[in-house]
Amino acid sequence: MHMLSSIRTIAVWEMKRSMTTMGRNVLPLAAGLLILLVLVTTFAAQSGVHMQDGIYHIGVDDLDTARIILPDTRFTVYIDSGSALWTNRFAYDVVILQGEVYAADTDKGRAALKTLERSYQGYVSRVAAEEPDLFAAYPLWIDLEYVKSEIDFLATQGGQQVGAPADAREPPVPSGPVEAVTLPPSAMPVSEDDLREHLAGSVGDHPLSRYTGITSGDPVMDRFRTPAELSAPLPFDAIVLVFVFIFPLYFTSQFYMMSIMNERVGRAGEALLATPVSPVAIVVGKALPYFAVMLLISAAITFAIGAPLSILLPLVPVILFFLANALIIGMASRSFKELSFVSIFFSTIATSYLFFPTVFANTHVISIISPLTLVVLDIQGDGFTAAQYVYSTTLFFATALVLFYGGIMNFREERLFSEKPLLSRLIDFISAGIRRDHPYLSLFLLSVFTIPFVFMVQMMVLVLFFNIPMPLSLVLLVVSAAFVEEFAKSIGLYAVAQTRPAFLTPKTLLIGAVAIGFGFLIGEKLLLFATLAQITESIFGNVLFLSLQVLWMPLLLHITGVLIIGGFLLVLGRRAYGPGLIAATVVHSLYNLYFLAGALL
Amino acid sequence: MNARNITLIAKKELRGLSAEKTIIFAILLQVFIAMFSSFLMVGLTAMYDPEALESYSTITYGVGYAGSDSPLIGEFEKRDDLILHRMDLPAALAALRERKISAVIYVPDTPPDAEEPITVTLYLIQNDLQSGVINVKIKEVLQGYERELREIRADRMTAFPVGLNFPESRGGENFFEFVYGLLIPLLVFLPAIVSAALIIDLITEEYQRRTLETLMSTPVTFAEMIWGKIVACEVLVPIQAGAWLLLLGLNGIEVDNAAAILLHASAGGLFLILLGALVGLHYRERTSAQFIFSTALVVVFLFVMAAPYNPLNLIVRLAVDTADPVHWLILALVAGTTALLGWVMTVYARKIERMAPVT
Repeated sequence: MHMLSSIRTIAVWEMKRSMTTMGRNVLPLAAGLLILLVLVTTFAAQSGVHMQDGIYHIGVDDLDTARIILPDTRFTVYIDSGSALWTNRFAYDVVILQGEVYAADTDKGRAALKTLERSYQGYVSRVAAEEPDLFAAYPLWIDLEYVKSEIDFLATQGGQQVGAPADAREPPVPSGPVEAVTLPPSAMPVSEDDLREHLAGSVGDHPLSRYTGITSGDPVMDRFRTPAELSAPLPFDAIVLVFVFIFPLYFTSQFYMMSIMNERVGRAGEALLATPVSPVAIVVGKALPYFAVMLLISAAITFAIGAPLSILLPLVPVILFFLANALIIGMASRSFKELSFVSIFFSTIATSYLFFPTVFANTHVISIISPLTLVVLDIQGDGFTAAQYVYSTTLFFATALVLFYGGIMNFREERLFSEKPLLSRLIDFISAGIRRDHPYLSLFLLSVFTIPFVFMVQMMVLVLFFNIPMPLSLVLLVVSAAFVEEFAKSIGLYAVAQTRPAFLTPKTLLIGAVAIGFGFLIGEKLLLFATLAQITESIFGNVLFLSLQVLWMPLLLHITGVLIIGGFLLVLGRRAYGPGLIAATVVHSLYNLYFLAGALL
Repeated sequence: MNARNITLIAKKELRGLSAEKTIIFAILLQVFIAMFSSFLMVGLTAMYDPEALESYSTITYGVGYAGSDSPLIGEFEKRDDLILHRMDLPAALAALRERKISAVIYVPDTPPDAEEPITVTLYLIQNDLQSGVINVKIKEVLQGYERELREIRADRMTAFPVGLNFPESRGGENFFEFVYGLLIPLLVFLPAIVSAALIIDLITEEYQRRTLETLMSTPVTFAEMIWGKIVACEVLVPIQAGAWLLLLGLNGIEVDNAAAILLHASAGGLFLILLGALVGLHYRERTSAQFIFSTALVVVFLFVMAAPYNPLNLIVRLAVDTADPVHWLILALVAGTTALLGWVMTVYARKIERMAPVT
């Protein structure tokens, strides 16, 4: 009860503080900027975007033709006599002589030709849309239907190609059951006037315009297109929406980061730390208002685009993850500029982790490692199951919890106000988790806690290497997986060697290595059984999580890895950490490759 | 204003940056993005222009054909990258679901010269990269069929467009418009934005850490100190932008007029840095300053992009070598505006120094 009330006090205090500092000075100017933004947006809407103006030069010998091209600002049009154009033809990307189009044989010429062709198609469509007999001008309409098909993650392993080859002359026979289908009607269900209106609004647009109207649009109308309107179905459409969610969340987490940083600047937080309020209450209480604001923003966006509210569920772990990272970055940065750069760096990596898998939404099971895939699926109306939710969010919940725990453990005066550089501060943070009275238990727990991060990195690596041809991707995976694991295991040892050099003796190293090995194995198994059963069945899973079958072998391997690095540290000192890490990685990779070869043969 | 004092401060700030390894993070970031570059190239180009996907595929695709006979079959036979299979609709759809074929097309029995339109149903796999490729290929087939139908129904038309004859497409749609028209201006201006955010950090930090007293006890004036920081940030702009151009060059993307581009980026960058400095001096607190600055940045960029002959557009034109000499005029205009802003900044800094002597 006491804890809850102090969390509340801190949260209210944090809200008031940010309200007063922000309110007095920032709000008037922000309101002014908002009005300016509206004005500028209307100006931009009227004037259009002038990024690509005049990138192509085109020579035309006839005024009527020039009039077709002029509206497209990407072209600078020169009108001249035919013979003059021909002699200077190398000065232009495209030349049109008496209705014949000639393009320069360069990348630029070809690009100009393509753009001109599209512009011209738009013009032809505009002329045709004026026809009294619409179906003479547009005799063909396409009704687009999408069929769902999920590639089995094991398919590639079984030798099946993802894009089916079509060498066979006879029609393929489906192996599964054939469902009865109602034949599509031959009559056009949409009225002629509606079609005409639809044509007038959509023809000859700039490539970027497709993104402006993603959330609007009439579904029945959208199904019917003329051949010219048939544009590739973007696997990425929903991803634009994803960015709409991620950027505001990241932006808001910055305020939390700053609030933590501000406590440290000029020892401002000393008074707060001197009160009997526990660090848990401070960290959680400060985070609470931002968590609420981020949730509200997401809800508002969800409401604005008319998506189901259930997409907030997968966003919760993302919000927690952002806040946890904001806490650590705010606590570890030495200066504002370091804060800026580290947070930009972090946001790039986090966004790629969230973004890249979603590209394969609906295609690979692997895409579900990003909670945003669930958002995409939900927006499409497919929904997600509880198992999928657990599968894709466990890592985010786990890492956020571990980071919050680490932040709270280190939320003390001597850590917050020290002036050491970033890396040694992080090492301090870690070694703070290794208690003097129970060093082995701490090492054991530390290596359990690193597991979610290891999995996250390995997942990212898996996504990265997924599209590289088979033997190469396997080798790359083996080596990088080994490296990541060895690195994670040795962090605790290195932190101890750094802060308490006297601790490291052959005896303590041996016991420590056993503790770390055990911790790693147990953490790995726990997380594996909880979430990753699906991936471990495939060959990629075998590489990453090879150690599922026999337990004592991987245990021995994990211990050996730590012993190698520890031995380097013990004999050659801290500078030998790099070579030790490489040696351990090599041993680990060889072990994995040996077993993998055994599994394959 | 003493140039030596300004250089002194600038050197101090740059030393601070490299000592804190922040530069290393910036480089890591560039390399990290470059690492994904092939992925980004394909992905982003496909987002910009889905038809570019076509050039990535060299295999032939099977297409299921159901319904009545039509001249469309003839159109398909002209293609060697699409193989048509006559099938029942249910069987074809089942095969599509198992990915044994890539698309299914159903044609009703409407005659070509009928009053009403011919409504063809096209079945594709949802949200799939391969569907993107197949879509482009089938689009071309359908457009051929549309031309044929238009000829059949030509006597019902009243107006005719100006005719243009395009040469046979040599295929191989490239990244040209995306790379030169979007990527290059954004990458070149990215360092300017980063530097502008950096100046806010540098200025607000002095206030929030109360380190101004020590600095002001030296003979350096307040305005000189601010200008020193501005110089340190400005120096980074052409270096980083140049690094991007170099990286692009290594990737086989040639950029013309690199020197002029860097000049434009530096002038625009200085403008943004001065804007950041003003905001930082006004708020003296990072959270508010960064918030206001990033909002202002959106306004500035929206405005600039909507104006014809804006610096971003000039960078594009310079990169593809279609810029007229008028770009020097615009550069002078931007430089003039920046100089004006610099003067305002200096006056403001001097006023701050007079109002509340920091010592």
